[in-house]
Amino acid sequence: MATTREPHAPYLAGGYQPKRRAVRSRVDEWMDKDFKFGDSHIKRKAVALILLGAPALAPLFFMAPAFFTMNKNTFSGSVDDTLGTGAAICLFLCLLVSPMAMLTGQHWFVPLRRWFGIMMAASAFGDAIAAGLTDTFEGGFLGVVAGHVFELMGFMIVMLLIPLVITSNHWAQRKLGRYWKRLQQLTYVTWILLGFHLILLEGVGFERGDNGSGFAGDGDPIFHQRFYQYGACSLFLLTLRLQPVKRWIAARQREGREWLVWVTIAPIFALFVFGMTFFINEQIFKGIDSFRETPSSE
Amino acid sequence: MSETYATVGQEDTAVGGVIIIAMSILAAVLVIAGLAYATGTSARHKGALAAAQCEPNLSPSGLQCTTVAMLTSQYMAIMNPAMQQLNTDAAACTANEGHHLAAAESALTAIVAAEHALDTKLAGFPFSPTVARTAKALIQANQALATLAAEQARSSSLPQLRSFNPRVDVASAAVQTEMTLVRKALAVPPTASQEP
Repeated sequence: MATTREPHAPYLAGGYQPKRRAVRSRVDEWMDKDFKFGDSHIKRKAVALILLGAPALAPLFFMAPAFFTMNKNTFSGSVDDTLGTGAAICLFLCLLVSPMAMLTGQHWFVPLRRWFGIMMAASAFGDAIAAGLTDTFEGGFLGVVAGHVFELMGFMIVMLLIPLVITSNHWAQRKLGRYWKRLQQLTYVTWILLGFHLILLEGVGFERGDNGSGFAGDGDPIFHQRFYQYGACSLFLLTLRLQPVKRWIAARQREGREWLVWVTIAPIFALFVFGMTFFINEQIFKGIDSFRETPSSE
Repeated sequence: MSETYATVGQEDTAVGGVIIIAMSILAAVLVIAGLAYATGTSARHKGALAAAQCEPNLSPSGLQCTTVAMLTSQYMAIMNPAMQQLNTDAAACTANEGHHLAAAESALTAIVAAEHALDTKLAGFPFSPTVARTAKALIQANQALATLAAEQARSSSLPQLRSFNPRVDVASAAVQTEMTLVRKALAVPPTASQEP
């Protein structure tokens, strides 16, 4: 009896080695090698991971002066823009790891997925706690963090992040076995909830009077709508998670036509970069304002 | 048989191909539209600034100038939490000045700290030249109130502490007057905590 795997049999049997495999292993092997720094030997991968992962600390770094001086004004004025935006960026970077591993065939950067996930949680927890303590909405801490629908979405994200962070270690992975992956897939729920959080935050995607971040007054409400930015980033991340798309990419890679994959995904990746630019711009400018303890309410 | 499965495999990847090409076309259209829209940013920005009365200012966002709405929003972001804090501390002081010297002094110390913090922020606020003079008067009135509150916090008895109240009321009224003038100049609606 033939199986549906028959067309792939030569590949599975090792009779066909696509070029991608060789390239992937070379880069991963290169990253696994040590280099000498003074008297110690350091893995290239470790340095690369630190350099790529360090920016995820930026949101917390930007809020640190306000934290040490307990500056309520800075927290109430810009914690959502600094830590909230930081959490969104970390989520997108966390979600970017798997598609990039699939496209490049390299796996040395996969540990960044956990790191960005943890930093997303740290930023989101900080945002929720600070907003709960300093925002001016009625109803005490819970009223602030869950009193409006958009806040409820944010609160649900934070609640979901708790088990995700607790189980983001090898021990939990071993203990939970096959359930671990299912649990970690809650990340996708937080991704969806972030969309609802952002769409409800700013007038369901449309500027109405002062409802929406376009109220900054520079005449560009569309570019200020975080939901649009979220959509631009999510299209790439979502498309490359669809099973038929994954199969199509794998088939092209087996054929050695990786160029076709890169050409095809280039516009979607460009849209991702376009969306991320706005998030990163927001993070840098609002973050610097927060760091200087002169929060911007734009 | 294997031909059949090969066809199934091709159809399988064909669906993926259709999806990814459709998404790519959509993304390309959106990127081009976004870039085209971005080319008009400067004109839209100028139009918005003209419509909303541009105020010369070195904005941290790198904008060439700040609209009245932006300035008002920034001012409120400073004043609202500060007023909230001051009202809370003042209420704590009033509640304790009849029977608990240490608690009243502690509240007064908090008031002094909050006043100084507010003064620092107001001193660094990019008021437009038309409002700057009124804002300076507000800062001076606030500093006078803070000095008085600091003296009051050093009282050795409750009667001595309460003896400052008439002078504190006068200084507070002066602050309120200046705040009203600044609010009017910036066209800020009074909030509950700022209403006399």
